[in-house]
Amino acid sequence: MKSSTLAKKIGFYAMIIIVWQGLDSADIWPDNIFPSPVDVVEDLAYGVSDGSLFFGIGTSLLRLIVGLSIAIAGGLVLGIFMARVETVNQTIGSLVLGLQSIPSIAWVPLAILWFGLTDTGIIFVVAIGAIFAVTINTYTGVKNINPSYIEAARNMGAKEGQLITSILIPAAFPFIMSGFKQGWAVAWRGVIGAELLFSFLGLGFLLNVGRQLNDVSQVIAIMLVIMGIGILAEGLVFKKIEDKVMTRWGLR
Amino acid sequence: MGKLESKNIEKYFTHDGKPLKTLDGIDLNVEDGEFVCIVGPSGCGKSTFLRITAGLEKPDGGEILLDNQPLTNTGPDRIMVFQEGALFPWLNVEDNVEYGLKIAGIPKEKRNQISHRYLDMMQLTQFATSYTYQLSTGMKQRVAIARALVMEPDVLLMDEPFAALDPQTRDLLLVEMQLIWQKTKKTIVFVTHNVAEAVMLGTRVLVFTHRPATIKKEFKIDYKRPRTSEDENLLPYQKKILAELRPEVKK
Repeated sequence: MKSSTLAKKIGFYAMIIIVWQGLDSADIWPDNIFPSPVDVVEDLAYGVSDGSLFFGIGTSLLRLIVGLSIAIAGGLVLGIFMARVETVNQTIGSLVLGLQSIPSIAWVPLAILWFGLTDTGIIFVVAIGAIFAVTINTYTGVKNINPSYIEAARNMGAKEGQLITSILIPAAFPFIMSGFKQGWAVAWRGVIGAELLFSFLGLGFLLNVGRQLNDVSQVIAIMLVIMGIGILAEGLVFKKIEDKVMTRWGLR
Repeated sequence: MGKLESKNIEKYFTHDGKPLKTLDGIDLNVEDGEFVCIVGPSGCGKSTFLRITAGLEKPDGGEILLDNQPLTNTGPDRIMVFQEGALFPWLNVEDNVEYGLKIAGIPKEKRNQISHRYLDMMQLTQFATSYTYQLSTGMKQRVAIARALVMEPDVLLMDEPFAALDPQTRDLLLVEMQLIWQKTKKTIVFVTHNVAEAVMLGTRVLVFTHRPATIKKEFKIDYKRPRTSEDENLLPYQKKILAELRPEVKK
């Protein structure tokens, strides 16, 4: 990042904090509705010192990773099948489009009925929410592969199975990558939403606890943590991979 | 060996719901080690004929035989070099060249040994770890040729591989292609719309007619190698071929 951009960003956030502190000092709203930045930082520090914050983050991330891994594996298989077998596309493909329009949160009642208030239930919500984003992007990616890649590979002796791992997945990777990114975004929202409703450990649970205790600074502190993790994942992890992929595939 | 025979190959395409005859009985014998060039007006089906030979498309009639064996599918005995090279951008040059060997289950060490021989032949050794986006069009075609040669096919099928190159690079590769052919003694079928290119490369040049294509005429090019693009002695061959080709292009 250029230093001038960085300076602008720092200035912007500093200003938000100053305005925030100013509004708090003006005593327009009571403290149990509008906490000061100091209250929020104190709350974060408390969560760090007793470990509850890390436990919450760890629990949510673990659920996210398991759920997202299932979504990625399932989405890849489903997407490739849809792209390679027209009957699968005409049948399952239409269903996938429909299911994709269901928000993750709408799966929660079903998950509770099927799995109870368990980790499995939350992972189910995460996985089912994210799988269709991965599926659709994989499908599009495989459909858009330059046909001469496939012909060249077949010509050099690749069988259908070898074609999948050595050509289809790598050739479609720029699309698959955006599937992962969309899948992650859905999964991250899904895990927090599900935890709120399940109220069973994790960051979403901590949000709920904050509400129940009327502890508005905890609610805002956790929201900031959720945002921070989102920024880290999208800005660092995905952007790095994406930059590399785009350059190598000659898309930039 | 690489004796290729085409017996009465026919092919139809569907155009506006109606069948459109593209290949009208292509009869052709290519002896082992021959370098045959096919020229024809664009859209005449010369590329289709090559693709049928590669096994990438099925003919609607007739058959292709390699060393008297009828062919039904693709096979590493006939390797195609595509117009745009069709290199895999996610692999570096070395891995691209080794692709077919890896698919065939040849161990890494052996693969390396073979690929380096051909990378060397194509003067690509120093680019072994480059990715395709770092290469010029000419370099990419060299990689594509190396990737085909590594398979040690009986027949090399080349579909306008130099069409996208600038004239200087093309001239260079046209000379190199002759040396490679002399060194490897492969049977080569080379499709092009460029008559000068065909005359430089071929032991024989076939002229395809406008669709539905048949072989209109063939020319033997008996002339010393390596032939260069400046060689004026090749002009009479070009003129004769162009005289046959021109009416077809105008159709």
